[in-house]
Parts: sequence; structure tokens; C-alpha cells
Amino acid sequence: MSAQDANLAYVPTWCPGCGNYGIFNSLKKAFATLELDLEQTVLVNGIGCSSKIGQYINCYRIETLHGRSLPVATGVKLVNHNLTVIAEGGDGDGMGLGMGHFVHTARRNLDISYFIHNNQVYGLTKGQTSPTSEPGMFTKFTPPPLGNVERPVNIVDMAISLGASFVARAYTGNMPHLADMMVQAIRHRGFAVVDILQPCVSFNAINTYAWYQQRVRTIAADHDPSDRERAKSLAGLWGDEIPVGVFLREERPTFADSLAQLKEGPLTEQPVTGINITGLMEELT
Amino acid sequence: MKSDFSCLFAGEAGYGVMSAGSTVAKAAGRNNLWTFVVNEYPSLIKGGLNTCLVRLAAEPLQAHEEAIDCLASLSQEGMEQNYSRLQPNGLLIADASLAVDSTRLAPGVRVYQLPLLQKGSGDVAKIMSNSAMLGAFCAVSGFPIELIEAVLADEFKPEVFEKNRVLLRSTYEVALPQAAAATFPLPFSQAAARPMLINGNDAISMGALQAGCKFAAGYPMTPGSSVLTYLADNGPAFGLVFKQAEDEIAAINMLIGAGFAGVRAIGSTSGGGFSLMVEALGFAALAEVPLVMVNAQRGGPSTGQPTRTAQADLAFVLNASQGEFLRIVVAPGDIEECFYETFRAFNLAEKYQLPVIILTDKYLADSSATHPFFKTEGLAIERGKLADAAWLAAHQPYKRYEFTAGGVSARALPGTAGGRHIATSYTHGEDGFYSSGNYEYAGSEPEVTVKALDKLFDKEPHILAELEAVRLYGPETAELTLVVWGSTKGAALEAMTLAQAAGISVNVLQVVYLSPFPAAAVTEVLSRSRQTLLVEGNKTAQLGGLIRMHTGIQIANRYLKYDSRAFTPSQILLKIKEVLA
Repeated sequence: MSAQDANLAYVPTWCPGCGNYGIFNSLKKAFATLELDLEQTVLVNGIGCSSKIGQYINCYRIETLHGRSLPVATGVKLVNHNLTVIAEGGDGDGMGLGMGHFVHTARRNLDISYFIHNNQVYGLTKGQTSPTSEPGMFTKFTPPPLGNVERPVNIVDMAISLGASFVARAYTGNMPHLADMMVQAIRHRGFAVVDILQPCVSFNAINTYAWYQQRVRTIAADHDPSDRERAKSLAGLWGDEIPVGVFLREERPTFADSLAQLKEGPLTEQPVTGINITGLMEELT
Repeated sequence: MKSDFSCLFAGEAGYGVMSAGSTVAKAAGRNNLWTFVVNEYPSLIKGGLNTCLVRLAAEPLQAHEEAIDCLASLSQEGMEQNYSRLQPNGLLIADASLAVDSTRLAPGVRVYQLPLLQKGSGDVAKIMSNSAMLGAFCAVSGFPIELIEAVLADEFKPEVFEKNRVLLRSTYEVALPQAAAATFPLPFSQAAARPMLINGNDAISMGALQAGCKFAAGYPMTPGSSVLTYLADNGPAFGLVFKQAEDEIAAINMLIGAGFAGVRAIGSTSGGGFSLMVEALGFAALAEVPLVMVNAQRGGPSTGQPTRTAQADLAFVLNASQGEFLRIVVAPGDIEECFYETFRAFNLAEKYQLPVIILTDKYLADSSATHPFFKTEGLAIERGKLADAAWLAAHQPYKRYEFTAGGVSARALPGTAGGRHIATSYTHGEDGFYSSGNYEYAGSEPEVTVKALDKLFDKEPHILAELEAVRLYGPETAELTLVVWGSTKGAALEAMTLAQAAGISVNVLQVVYLSPFPAAAVTEVLSRSRQTLLVEGNKTAQLGGLIRMHTGIQIANRYLKYDSRAFTPSQILLKIKEVLA
């Protein structure tokens, strides 16, 4: 397959210059690199500018509620583990409303990839502070003189702490690298988080392409992603230097591996007829 | 008048009063008696007052009565709260340490104070007190002790059974000389086939498994959780996966994911948890993902009364979530309906691609009754319009939300060749695309919006045509028609029988499906009723309001009960007499 096979005819509605175009194109490239069977792939998205990606990619998609992509993806994966399941959403969707689900999905280590389009602002509602916004940032909901006074969520640091088994960061200004992070995440067997740094050209005047170009550094080739302590210390870096690349990769059993019911195949393939509950009734006599 | 016998077992939590009650009920059920068992307990783990009411009769029972013939208490509180329920010539069995106030007893009550509480340390000793209580119960009531022994022998491992049997027998022997040659007032004879002792939540869980349900998700909330507990225990043998979620929002979204991917899925909660699920309920409806959700009502609002019953969520579940969409709401009235309507709920959810809510309450969820085995022959799985690869190949380009005559369009499950599409929470056209955000749709938004909403409601007449949405019991016409929904059915039916015995002609209209509302069927019955009496477990007459909204009929008389306890037949009979006086 080619990247074009994953394309739909609809015209994306993102602003010119939006980082979502880079993510969209990188995702299609990742699909082509992996030669994914698009009939066996489910993209689960939340709501927000980033989440519109599901409207333009030609696999099975379910566009959920704001913040709820991960539990829906969990349901899909648990009942049909043969599917490749990818969840996408923004920093507001995932780290605001969806934070509780992020915490528990990471704990579970289901074989799901989660791509977070992190532009540090709410875009589709036209410019409010997000859980990853910089302190001091002025937005519609944190106007001058005070601005934002809360510390931002460090997605990579959290994902490592919570138990995600693959954690990476990428930047939309480097699309080949971004596509490579996506490929590695989808290939990984377990919950794979990619924090995707993405400028918002309409509502974030701080974290611009120029701002990122000065700070983004590819993680050195000698970093061992199985070294959890080193991954945590790298994850703590944010500011003058922002590391991108694979922080952590751990091979360990997924949640679904522990379920005897799935050994014979996905639940979607189990018969729904010919069921005999006589034994259950006898137990109550 | 029905000949029955009720015994209330009472004691602090941890002393096994509920298992004492179910032991008596099983022993009776195996010997051709019918039972109805109601547990009342506060929301705590140790202490407090737990009671288990066991009502026995020679014919099927569908409710409890407040009046009792025997009170067996392991705690002072158990007596204090229940003296007044004990009928003249009744039996009071109390631990020897308790102070019995004979001035509060009805005439002729015989009092037996015996050493029931076991003094050993730890929970095991405590819980064995119930065997002593059962020994005393058999001695003073004449309930055959060997029937109790037979049940205990099945329930316990041999060494545990032997300890309990010794205690049961020794207390029996101590009590027997004090009892005046007691003969149990109901006849025993061995049943040809053992019936079940089953509660509403067990029946719902079995209905789900029979329907091929393969996934359940939820968060603990009394009294809905025991469906999840049952499925967690028994589901794996049927290939079902249960996932405890971090909250009810996650639970319902997991169920939507499972339904989208193509398995039958169920959740169970109570009003508070259902409140958290509300946004996703609308998502399931708009994305047309099949979903079955149980709401076992408890006292509200807010945290309310976790372990007590109510019928106050009807208006809420009918209207929950923003915007307008079609949902099916079914309120089973008894254990039989819990099983068969749950089975049907899965068919309806898939055939019409919408959420189905099974609305029960603590009384139905948690009360047990003697019940024969469910007949499962002829129960057919109907999955509705599922698009396979061959169908899809002949219907390209595939439109997931194609506008059709009945509102239902073919559903392609992920993994099926030719069925790629978007399922979405946005208002959408036939191909699933957003009616407002896409340039391609901008010009036709008003038309698409109307068609998209009409599509959801086009299913309504087809659903109503296939359902037995109301049931009428008793004569076609009567002096008084009782109008009920949910668990009130049982007490109403017994009240109807009591009224007939008193020469009063009563019938009962049960509204089984509250949405879509069976306006024509309700109108048909009520328009030929001479007098009507609404009986429901809430303050604001929610079914009454619904009937008025849909039919214009105002039900003249109301019996509303919102005191955290269920209706009893005798209470309804009093109201019937008052209305007809």
C-alpha cells in the first residue's frame, strides 16, 4: 500500500500552517511503512482540532466524545485483539477531561498506540489554557495580567511513571522522525504513547515553530530505552532543551495476555448461539 | 385469603441472617413451597441491623408483607424495630442475652429465649450463630429440621457442615421441650425438580449470558453491582470478559467500543453511576452503537440511600442526555421478566442499533423468589442488519448511515473487508461525515440535520409493533384499574387477588416498556377503565405524568410511596378500599 491509500477525498479543515497536517501525513506514511491492513485498523479519536484526523483517514474510525478515546479504544481492543487500535486526541482532550482514563489505560498496558497532538492550547474552542500550557501564558481563560499560573503536565514523564511500556516524543517540524516514532509505537506490543509537539499557528504565540527549532534535540543514539531510570531523568528535561525520540521501551505482557477467554481468539469470533445455562440454574437450587 | 407464613431473621451484619433466610427458602422450595425473600441492610460492613424476611406459601409469591408470624433475632435492635410486626399468637425467638419487652408484643405471642449467639472469637464463630437460630426456628415453628440439614449439606464443605449441623441439632434439642408440639402451618412434599432461589440481578445476568453477551464493564455501585459480580464469576466459562473500569464514564465508553467492534455488551449501575454515563448514552444513540445498560434504582437524590429501594429514576432515564434521540427503556416487573426482557434487550439493541436501558430497583434486583428453571428453547438471537464482505462488495460505496425506510442501516464491523467508515458522535450524513465542519457538507447542513434526526426516530413504530409493551392482568374490565411499572407489579397482583377475595373487582395494567411509550395500548386500556389508581414508588407520580403527556389521560387516584421500602399487597388493598369507598 501507499500513503495515498489511507487518504479520503475530504478536504481537512485545519488552519493553513497547522501542525495537524504534519501529523496527518506522518500517520499515512507510518501506515504505508507498516503495510497495515486498513480493514483491520481502527482509529479512535476524541474531540478537538486534532481529533478531526479520524475524518480524513481511510481505515475504520470511531469519533468518540471529548476526552473518551481511551476507554472506547479499550473496549475495541478487548473484544477484538486482532485489530490494530490507535487512539488520537489533543492535550486538552487527553490531559484535561481524559486524564483519568490516561492514568488507568497506562496501568493496564493494553496493546494500543496513543498519539497525543500536543499544541499546549485549546484550538477548536478558540484559545483557552490547556493542561500543558506554559506558566504565564495568556489565553482567553487566563487573561493578563495574571495569565496561567499552573504547572504544565509533562506527558512523557507521566506516561513513564504510570506504566506505559513505550514512550516517545516527536515534533511536527521533523516529519520523517515523527513517522518513525509512530511506526515504532504501532509495532510495539503494549500501551505506546507518543507526545507529539505541534505548534498552533492561531492560538499559541509562544510555542511556535521557531521556539521549537531552537530547543528540540534528538535523544542521543547511545540511550538505552530499557533503562527506566535514565528514561525518567531524560523525561524531566523541558525548557532550553526538549528531548525527542524513544525514551522507554519495555517488553512485558499486555492486559489481554492475562485473559484466558481470549486464548481461543477474539470475543467477536465467539459463538452467540447454542448457549446452555442449565448449569447456572442448577447452582441456584 | 392466601395462606402464608413469614419469618424475619434479624441480627447485626456479619452474623449470617441473610444466609439463614436463604437456607430456609431453599429448603422450602425443594419441598413444594413457594418463597419470597427480602433483605434489608444498611450501607455498612459490620454491625447495624440486617434483616432477612422469608415469606412462604403453597402457591407462588411475588411480594412480601410487613406482618410476620415469627421473629428470630440475634440483636436487641432486631427486636426493638420489629416488635410491632409480629402478629397475635406469633413466635419470638431471641438470644438469651436480650431483654424482651413483653408489653410491646401482640396477644398470644410465645417467647423463646435461647443461647443463640456463639461466643468464640472471630467472624467464623459469629456467623455460626445463624445455625443455632435455625435450630431454634425449626423447634418452635415445626419447620422440618432435616430439610434445613439437607440444604446446609449442599452449601458447606463436609467439616464446616458438621460443625453447623451439631450446633443446629443441639439448639433444636434444647428448644424442643419448650415448644408446644409445633406443626408448621404449610404442607411439605418433595418437589419433582428442584426450583431456583433467584433474585432479579441473577436473572438479568443469566439473560445476558443466554443472549451471547461477551463483554461487561462497570464500576461498583449498589444495587447494580451484583450483575457485574455474577458476570465476573460466571462469565469466563461463557467466553465473557468483565472489565472493572476506573469510573462509570470509562465503563460505558468501553461498552460502546465493544459494541462498535461487534460484541454484545452490558453494563450495570445505579442512579449515581448512570448520571455519569449520561453523555455517552447520547453518543451511543447518535453513533448507532448497540448498548444494554441496567439501572437498578436506589433511594436518591445524590448518594441517597445506597441499600434501599425507589422508583424515582424513570423521568431521568427517559430524558437523560442532551438533544433528542430514541432509546428503549424496559422495566421488568419480576424475575421472569428480568430474564426474558434482558435476552430481548440484546436483540433490540442490535436490530435497532440503539441503547436499551433495563430499569429495575433494589427490591427487584436484590429480592429472591422460588422460580422454576427458565425455558430457553426457542429463544432466538437476532443480530439485525450486519454487513458481511459479500454484501459490502455489492454495495459500494458503503454508507454506514444510509437513510432507509425503517431508519436502520447495515452495520459493518471493524475487520470486515469493504466496510471502512467513521462512526461518530457528531451529527452526520449517510457517510458519517460531520454536517457542520466539512466544506463538502456546509451547503446542505439543514437538510442533513433533519434527515439524521428523523433516521433515529424512524425506528420507533417498528419497535412498538414488535413489543408487548403493556400487560393487563385480571378481568378485561373492572371496578378499578391499578396502573403500575417495575417491581410494583408483584404487590399489585397479590393485592388484586386479595381484592377479588373481598368481592372487589380489580385489574392491573403494567407498563413494561416506558420508551418508546406505548400510547395507543395504554389509551386502549385506560379508556375502558371505570376508575384508575396509579401505584408507584416515587413522590412526583412519574409514570402518571408520562401517561398524561402521551395520552392526555389523568389518572384520578394516586398511591405514591417514597419511604425507602417497597409496596406490600396489604397496603395496596387498603388503598383500593379507600378509593372505592
